[in-house]
Amino acid sequence: MAAIEHHRHILDFTLSSLLRRKGKNAALLSVYTLIIFILASVLFFTHALKREAALVLKEAPEIIVQRTLTGRYQPIPTAWGDKIREINGVISVRPRLWGYQYDNVYQANYTLTVPAGNPPEPGSIDIGSGISRMRAAHPDDIIAFTGHDGLPRTFIIRNILDNESQLLTSDLIVLSEKDYRDFSGIPAEQATDLALRVRNPREYTTIAEKITQMYPETRPIVRTEIQRTYDAVFGWRSGLLIVIFSAAALAFVIFAWDKATGLSAEERREIGILKAVGWETSDILLMKFWEGTVVSLTSFLVGTILAYVHVFLTSAALFAPVLKGWSTLYPTFRLTPFIDFGQMATLFFLTVVPYTVTTIVPSWRAATIDPDAVMR
Amino acid sequence: MISLCDIAKIFNAGKTNEFSALHNVSLNLRMRETIVLKGPSGSGKTTLLGLVGCMARPTTGRIFLNDREITSLPERFLTEIRRSTFGFIFQQFNLIKGISALENVMIPAYPTGEKNSLLRKRGLEKLEMFDLGKRANTRIEFLSGGEAQRVAIARALINNPAIIIADEPTAHLDSKLSNEFMEIMKDLKAAGTTIILASHDPIVYNSALADQVVEMRDGQVVKDGRL
Ligand SMILES: Nc1ncnc2c1ncn2[C@@H]1O[C@H](COP(=O)(O)OP(=O)(O)OP(=O)(O)O)[C@@H](O)[C@H]1O
Ligand SMILES: [Mg+2]
Repeated sequence: MAAIEHHRHILDFTLSSLLRRKGKNAALLSVYTLIIFILASVLFFTHALKREAALVLKEAPEIIVQRTLTGRYQPIPTAWGDKIREINGVISVRPRLWGYQYDNVYQANYTLTVPAGNPPEPGSIDIGSGISRMRAAHPDDIIAFTGHDGLPRTFIIRNILDNESQLLTSDLIVLSEKDYRDFSGIPAEQATDLALRVRNPREYTTIAEKITQMYPETRPIVRTEIQRTYDAVFGWRSGLLIVIFSAAALAFVIFAWDKATGLSAEERREIGILKAVGWETSDILLMKFWEGTVVSLTSFLVGTILAYVHVFLTSAALFAPVLKGWSTLYPTFRLTPFIDFGQMATLFFLTVVPYTVTTIVPSWRAATIDPDAVMR
Repeated sequence: MISLCDIAKIFNAGKTNEFSALHNVSLNLRMRETIVLKGPSGSGKTTLLGLVGCMARPTTGRIFLNDREITSLPERFLTEIRRSTFGFIFQQFNLIKGISALENVMIPAYPTGEKNSLLRKRGLEKLEMFDLGKRANTRIEFLSGGEAQRVAIARALINNPAIIIADEPTAHLDSKLSNEFMEIMKDLKAAGTTIILASHDPIVYNSALADQVVEMRDGQVVKDGRL
């Protein structure tokens, strides 16, 4: 009972201590919260991007065959796919129908696709959550899109897509083959590209070579190349963020160092007084421990929550300059909320713990000297 | 009995600003008595009280508190003695700014883990003894010099110490308040408290309360008289 009361007294005193240096502690809290906010935002963001990229790749085919004519993209005849399937090592060939559509009115890009399985009935479509949000469209609503010929077409919405990866589905329109051909003007017997499944990754290059020999107009893209492209795109973005991250981390170190070295004359005097009137060294350390914990935990929680809101609810608005290219391509793109607890624990141990320690150590030094010497 | 044996206190020993504040000090102070230290400014009164009150250690010599040698005790024992035995009234008050008078008075009792409501009540009682009941929730920096001094006195009494050490306790009090202070000391003495006072104030050193008057000059005891 007495021990609990003892702790309570010291905690009470710590809180009133913090309150009495309101200005100083408010400044401290804001700087600390800001640093945590930046660190956590970068962590959340890079992690979410990597995760999106991994999901995109998981669904990517091993080889994509496109057709180009003097460097310009062309639809590919589906009949070519039948010949390619006869190449040794190719398991299957699927002609794909997909493309981008720019919407003048909403200034947005849509990705249109005909799925391999379970396509909607002609006249109905599935749309991504980004489009649903932007157009305020819901299942069973009728929605209009302008086709390649500039004429509008109306569809009934069957579903709103809610995939693991927002990157894949946010701006997606899923429609039937018939509607797609009508919408895009791609004639029957032609496809956007061919997606190949291949038995052995080591055969990728030889198969790609055979395809170009067979059809010189084609351009096979191997999955490893896709991976490289994604890595470059994500790597560049993460790189910039790492710079921001390091700057914030450095700021934290300077900030903590300043705490560790500086105990103001007033703080030293107070420690001396407390010792003089009978506080144990351990009582003073307990008080400083609470002080460090209250400040750093508050900052940590507020900073992480703000970072979560920032990254997942405002689409990392403050990182917009870093993401310029991205936002024109994916105007209503939102990252899927995802928190890696290991990462959060790391951030916690690298900020809250050192901060608390740097609060305690100089006080411990002051608290072990004779009170008389500290009070002068 | 508090015995000081051949005490010396040298500040900044070995440095260019080395200063010998006390030397050859030997004293015996009896329990339940009132002892007054006098002497000109800089003669070493505060330094001596600090040593007796376990705030600092002598450079050489030994101090006994009821036959227990305290000079060589580790810091945590000294803390324990300070809390359980002494009530110290500092010349410079040493109150904590930014918190209320009442909280200042309660601080020495926090480590005892006493129930908050009881402690509050006791703190208020001590403040009321010095007519400060109304100022209990005022922050220290808004109090007058005399009020702050009385808060410092109330704080020294919160743990009902066996030994009160008071360094110029009446320096900021008018004669009426000084006399009231001495009345309270009289009651405490009657209750068996040992009181060690350092003072320039005739109200204090001429008081009928004093059993022993120690006169100091240049860090030495020049007169040690029992009355
Ligand atoms: N920490 C210290 N470092 C250096 N010198 C000190 C220290 N503490 C006290 N002194 C010196 O020791 C001498 C005695 O000081 P002390 O405070 O004991 O005097 P005092 O008798 O209480 O004087 P006063 O009546 O003015 O309060 C003074 O000259 C003072 O300058
Ligand atoms: Mg003095």
